[in-house]
Amino acid sequence: MKRGMKLLVGVLVRIPGLMFPCEEEEEMMREENTEELEVLEAQIKHLQAEVKGLHQQLQEEDCRNITFNFEGPMKEALAFMCGLTEGEGKEVVVSKLEEEVEQLERKIKLQIQINGISVTRCITKTLDHSGRKEVQLFCISGHCSGLDFQVEFKLSEVQEHQRTVNELNVVLDSKDPQSFSSFLSRVEENNNLLLFFRTLRTFSDRCADRTRAFQHFQEKFPSVVSLPGGCRSEVMRLSHPELSGCVFFVYWSFEVSTEGAVILKIRLLPKIPEQALQFYSQPAGGAAEAFQSLLRTLGPEATIESVIRGVGLLPDAEPSS
Amino acid sequence: MEGASSNGVLSKLSLLEVEARSRGSHPQPQQSRVKELKAKVEALKTKRDQLKAELQTHKLLQRLRLSEVNHSEEEDMDEDSESSRVLRLMARHSELTDLLRAHRLIGGYEVVKTHQGKGVCMSIATGYEGVYLDTYNLEMDTNPKVRISRHNIPPFIPLDTLAEQSDLQTGIRTFLDTLSQHLNAYVGRRQQLKLMKEQHKSVEVMESNILCSMLVLMFTMPEQVAVLCLLDYKDLSRCLPTQVKLDCEDEKLTDSPQWKKSCSLLLELPVHRALTAMKKMGTVV
Repeated sequence: MKRGMKLLVGVLVRIPGLMFPCEEEEEMMREENTEELEVLEAQIKHLQAEVKGLHQQLQEEDCRNITFNFEGPMKEALAFMCGLTEGEGKEVVVSKLEEEVEQLERKIKLQIQINGISVTRCITKTLDHSGRKEVQLFCISGHCSGLDFQVEFKLSEVQEHQRTVNELNVVLDSKDPQSFSSFLSRVEENNNLLLFFRTLRTFSDRCADRTRAFQHFQEKFPSVVSLPGGCRSEVMRLSHPELSGCVFFVYWSFEVSTEGAVILKIRLLPKIPEQALQFYSQPAGGAAEAFQSLLRTLGPEATIESVIRGVGLLPDAEPSS
Repeated sequence: MEGASSNGVLSKLSLLEVEARSRGSHPQPQQSRVKELKAKVEALKTKRDQLKAELQTHKLLQRLRLSEVNHSEEEDMDEDSESSRVLRLMARHSELTDLLRAHRLIGGYEVVKTHQGKGVCMSIATGYEGVYLDTYNLEMDTNPKVRISRHNIPPFIPLDTLAEQSDLQTGIRTFLDTLSQHLNAYVGRRQQLKLMKEQHKSVEVMESNILCSMLVLMFTMPEQVAVLCLLDYKDLSRCLPTQVKLDCEDEKLTDSPQWKKSCSLLLELPVHRALTAMKKMGTVV
């Protein structure tokens, strides 16, 4: 009976104008309470749905663009941004964050100094995060000496210690892409990220050695040596200051094997007029071969120096030792 | 109260009534339920507002990070406000954290200063074909002379020789490069052996050493001819063998082109891959 009554009143109450305080007061109150409870419950449901939606949006945000990691001072800063920090707490949050940013800057500087590789941009995006497995997409770019690189790969992480690189893509902005091409395709095929960077470092070190050597020769024999492509290029030009027709080019280049070994290749290309060769043919014509055998025994620097001294390029005024 | 008011005069009245009553009489079970729900509503509202703020922060950070190159996008942000300052710091923080992570991932030597800058700790990451393997650590004193004080590098890696060969005092990089090459070559050979055992169950490992610089395998060729294969990795800075020897009782076989092809495959490819190729050719069962 009570239940029927409740229902009836429920109907009455819902019709505006039909509401009279004609029932017993207790009953009425309970009724209104029920009404309120319903309203509240509906509100809760609505809010819960909203919260769920927001959670989802946050997750999607992580996947769509950059994934952020909120830990330590970053977590506190996020709380600050959400208005959860008050009064003096705010200053503490800011100074802590500032301190850590400075610390990170110093760390990065040290890594660049030791490694010689400068990473200038890294964007991460979470592709999949289910259970114990996490897949992230990395896009990293930077430079190593004068070489600009960009790598993109997927990193799968199962628990803490099993990390794998997949779908590696490498772009290298090199002046001499030929020497790298077969190595790069092998690296991409085998997802050999670490090997790529080891080789890149060795390669740029060798380039720096070459630059130093070229500069050294230019300073030591300024009238003979010129660097038409600048000190970073692979060509050095040797010529007698008064015999403009007789020129030797030293091509100092590298080849990268599929295993990542950087192999030195130096060639000597003589450019001597036909007529001159008649008088001179024996030593100058065979110079290229002789150069290679010298290279094997003396090494690049001493070989080049002996070429400069040996083929009579030096005017008498140049220092002899 | 926001929610209640939207439901009209009735709820408001009933609310007033409830309040008036609760002053006089004992609270009823339903009333405490109302209170409970109201608290829940409030909590949810707070949660929602927080999430909204969090989402907003995320979006702003995204924009800041993506405009690292293109700074014009930042213009619409309030320059002076405290929160925009915090936001900028957060963006920088996340950028730097990612850069450090990138350094680690690309196998950069990780350097940490110790003892108030008197020494350094270095980590060398190793990996083989996309799989990250062991990380090795070195602690070095830099004052007065550069000297390795502690490390966890396996004893069979010629650490001292490598340190002597590259002058530690002038350039630590050369030393680290050679060491890293040796370590990577070692873990690479070890990983190849592991992969070979997993992928080629029919191949029997007769002998191998801890440095994985020597490997004796036994596999079967068609017509049940057993072949003994010796792989010698003389160059310890490489993952591939420097010498391959195949041996079997059937002397005719050693001159066959198939045999020569197998030898060159074993010299050019990692052992597990060379065996896969040989299987495809039908050289190995």
